[in-house]
Amino acid sequence: MTELRLAGVSKRYGDTETSTTAGESEAEAIALQNVDLTVNDGEFFTLVGPSGCGKTTTLRTIAGFEEPTTGTVTFDGDPMTGVPPEDRDVGVVFQSYALFPHLSVAENVSYGLKFRAPPAGLTVDERVRELLELVDLEGMGERDPAQLSGGQQQRVALARALAPAPELLLLDEPMSALDARLRESLRRQLSRIQSELDITTVYVTHDQAEALAISDRLAVMHDGEIEQIGRPKDVYREPDSRFVAEFVGDNNVFDGRVVDHDGERATVAVGETQTRVTLAGVPTDATHIAACVRPGALRRETTQNQLTVDIETTEFLGERVRVHGHWNSVPIVLRLAEPPSGETCSVGFEPEAAHVISSSET
Amino acid sequence: MLALLALATAAVLAVMLYLPTGVVLVNAVVEDSIPTLAPFVDVLTDPFYFGVLADVFADPLAIGEHLHALAGWLAAISISVGLEYRLPLPFVQFELPIPWVGVETPGVRQGLFGFTAYQAALSTIASVAIGLPAAYILANYEFYGRRTLRSLTILPFVLPGIMVAVGFYAMFGRSGTLNTILGGVGLGPVAFVESNPLAIVILAHAFYNAPLVARITVAAWESVDIRAVETARSLGASERRAFRDVVVPQLVPAVLTGALLTFIFTFMTFPIVLALGGLQLATVEVWIYDRIQRLDYTEAATLAVLETILSLGLTYAYLRYESAQTGLSQAASPPPKEALFPDLQTVLSPRRLAILGYGLAALILFVGPLASLVVGSLTDGSGFTLRNYAFLLERQLEGESFQTQPWPAIRNSLLFGVATLVVAVPMGVVISVLTVRAGRSGTIIDTLAMLPLAVSGVVFGIGLLQGLVFGISLPGGWQFQVTGAVAIVVAHAVAAYPFVTRNVSPLLSNVDPAMVESARALGASRFRALLDVELPLVASGIVAGAAFAFAISIGEFSSTVILASGSESYTMPVAVERYLGRRTGPAIAMGTLLLCVTAASFVVIDRVGGRYEL
Repeated sequence: MTELRLAGVSKRYGDTETSTTAGESEAEAIALQNVDLTVNDGEFFTLVGPSGCGKTTTLRTIAGFEEPTTGTVTFDGDPMTGVPPEDRDVGVVFQSYALFPHLSVAENVSYGLKFRAPPAGLTVDERVRELLELVDLEGMGERDPAQLSGGQQQRVALARALAPAPELLLLDEPMSALDARLRESLRRQLSRIQSELDITTVYVTHDQAEALAISDRLAVMHDGEIEQIGRPKDVYREPDSRFVAEFVGDNNVFDGRVVDHDGERATVAVGETQTRVTLAGVPTDATHIAACVRPGALRRETTQNQLTVDIETTEFLGERVRVHGHWNSVPIVLRLAEPPSGETCSVGFEPEAAHVISSSET
Repeated sequence: MLALLALATAAVLAVMLYLPTGVVLVNAVVEDSIPTLAPFVDVLTDPFYFGVLADVFADPLAIGEHLHALAGWLAAISISVGLEYRLPLPFVQFELPIPWVGVETPGVRQGLFGFTAYQAALSTIASVAIGLPAAYILANYEFYGRRTLRSLTILPFVLPGIMVAVGFYAMFGRSGTLNTILGGVGLGPVAFVESNPLAIVILAHAFYNAPLVARITVAAWESVDIRAVETARSLGASERRAFRDVVVPQLVPAVLTGALLTFIFTFMTFPIVLALGGLQLATVEVWIYDRIQRLDYTEAATLAVLETILSLGLTYAYLRYESAQTGLSQAASPPPKEALFPDLQTVLSPRRLAILGYGLAALILFVGPLASLVVGSLTDGSGFTLRNYAFLLERQLEGESFQTQPWPAIRNSLLFGVATLVVAVPMGVVISVLTVRAGRSGTIIDTLAMLPLAVSGVVFGIGLLQGLVFGISLPGGWQFQVTGAVAIVVAHAVAAYPFVTRNVSPLLSNVDPAMVESARALGASRFRALLDVELPLVASGIVAGAAFAFAISIGEFSSTVILASGSESYTMPVAVERYLGRRTGPAIAMGTLLLCVTAASFVVIDRVGGRYEL
């Protein structure tokens, strides 16, 4: 179907685009900085990051609600510059659902069919019925949107976006107004529909766990820039930057000075007391590094790289407990099967469990 | 498409609003095709217009002298405390010792502008004093008919001014209903209107503006989040203290907004003063009208420009102040409402008795004049009569064509009302769309488009008369000229479209932008999205705006009376005024007909399901 590509897309507010009233000197705000990404045909691609990172602006640029200041958006190689949203053939679902309150559910779903013929010889009514079935809302066509629950409204919005069989499906935080349990079930339903239709999808969320769970690939964004693009497990295991390491999942990040390197493993001095730890994967010429170890890799039974953690808080999560504390002035988070009994807790990690985020030679 | 509509609206505004206003300005500063400020200097330095301030304008640099005069005036104020043995009411004879603070100020020559401001200030005080208790009751108590009463607070605002004036006359006049009642218990008659016309004028202004103050204040009161009050209580504030610290700061801006609006409206008052006070109580507006009647256009224009500058300043202050306030959104949890009369015991508590007393007084003030209008049209001081209506009928059947007849007035009123609606509704909607779309720079469009609120009907009437009706020469020997009837519709449409805009804009800006974007992503053009999504969602506002447009056209007096003078395009309010000069009976009957037409149009609107916003 469609391959989406953004090349060098930047977006600035405040100078040329919006006309500001005279005398009001508004600092030029950079919303997007040189965003490059390719979403493959049929892929479920997620933009994830904290609020204000530019993920929604990116999505709105793809949909055509914003024009990039520089750079191009192409659908299957066709540049979209100057193409208004109504001619881009995209389906959009918003966080607020934006259902038309004066139209019934069926009228909402059929709205896009006024402008684009329903696919493959179906009548409008048949297409509406098909879509309502797809989202498990058979027989709800005559209702008013206001009569539906949040989850149902969200599915109507999805059906409406999909009815004209768009090239691209764009979802802007479609689940964030729903409660956690409903969110999970809708997420599975969305996943199923997306792979059934095999439609290229861009999904925006601030919830990194959701992004990891649902995506084929994801891009982590921060301050208008893409920090890392990759498959969920690669981004989780091998974050490219300190921001990604700390944003995606719980993590323990520390800085150290390389004091010895035997070609395979390095000895690194960490924290106030310059405690020595042994790490694998450190470049041989590095003198200073930042590394991270996932909480799950810090185990009580591991004897290598022993750390004594001063415990501050313990959260009961059901199957596990999450423990926050400090070791050697480095904040530490642990995930243990049983809550620790004392005020300290000894854990260790294998040299291969650590991932070096960055290194420098000075 | 939208750009085209915008251009059309701008063109209509230019011809209908800015051209006439410009003509007035040009008339004021151009004499024998030579630009001059002499008329302004004449007016500003004439004590007749500016009272004591005229000296200051005449010689603004003699500060010492002016300060000396001010000090002399302050020194002459005397304050005395004594016992008074008579209630300060005109018809009560009791001898009671009442402590009385006497403040004697030496007379100040106010001049025409000073007096206009003085009566506006008194009217504002009266409106706030009468409006606040109503706001308190409507915001804090639940009772049968509260919602209806709340939406009725908009009603006085669109009632024809001349009709209300006649209503007050029918109530307080020498043979009015109040005197009939007083006569029944052996008192009076008291010449209310004749002995203290200012008090009656102020009361009539309160009739208009107290509901306005109440309406704005109730909206603010109901948007107070009760959680904030509860937070203050939990932090240790007493009930009274929490009210003072949390509720009052949120009410004050609303009350000030209402007061400012009241001041603006009453500063530009015309039909009420004309009908109840005449030239004896002339305000700037009445005086301008009088100048026009005497064909003294230059002086009228000069006064009009001065008045407009003042009211524009006030309106600008109002708009600035209004936009500085965060929008009044319905709070998540508004304060709870207490039942007003849960049981007999509560009814007898002092607070409930006070509310009852206030309610009774309000009933007299608000229903009295309208009821008196109807009663007055059917009585002649001695009993029931149909004479007044018979006179109207006779005038219709046998009157000469130069005489004012009832049917042409009714027909013209309805015709102009519909024409106004047709012009004002599209204009108002287009301006709303442009304002909301423009976002921040929308305030500029908003202010420009709201100019009619600041330009009085009389001023606008002269502009239209001199600009469009007398005709403007265009290059190439063309002449741009319209008839009186067209000019009247223009005047009404310009007065009405801000109300359409004010009803539509809030709804329009509440439409989730994501809805429009959804429609566009589904293939609708921007204009199509406007038609399919935004307009249906603001339909109730458009209906309400249309209702306003019609009601304002029916009641408009100030510019109509100028534009219809000596012609046959008079409307019902103009007919009322023409009868009032000679025969009060038929005027009251004509006012009653006007009341019926106005009431009927409101019933229609209510059925269509409008909601009214100001």
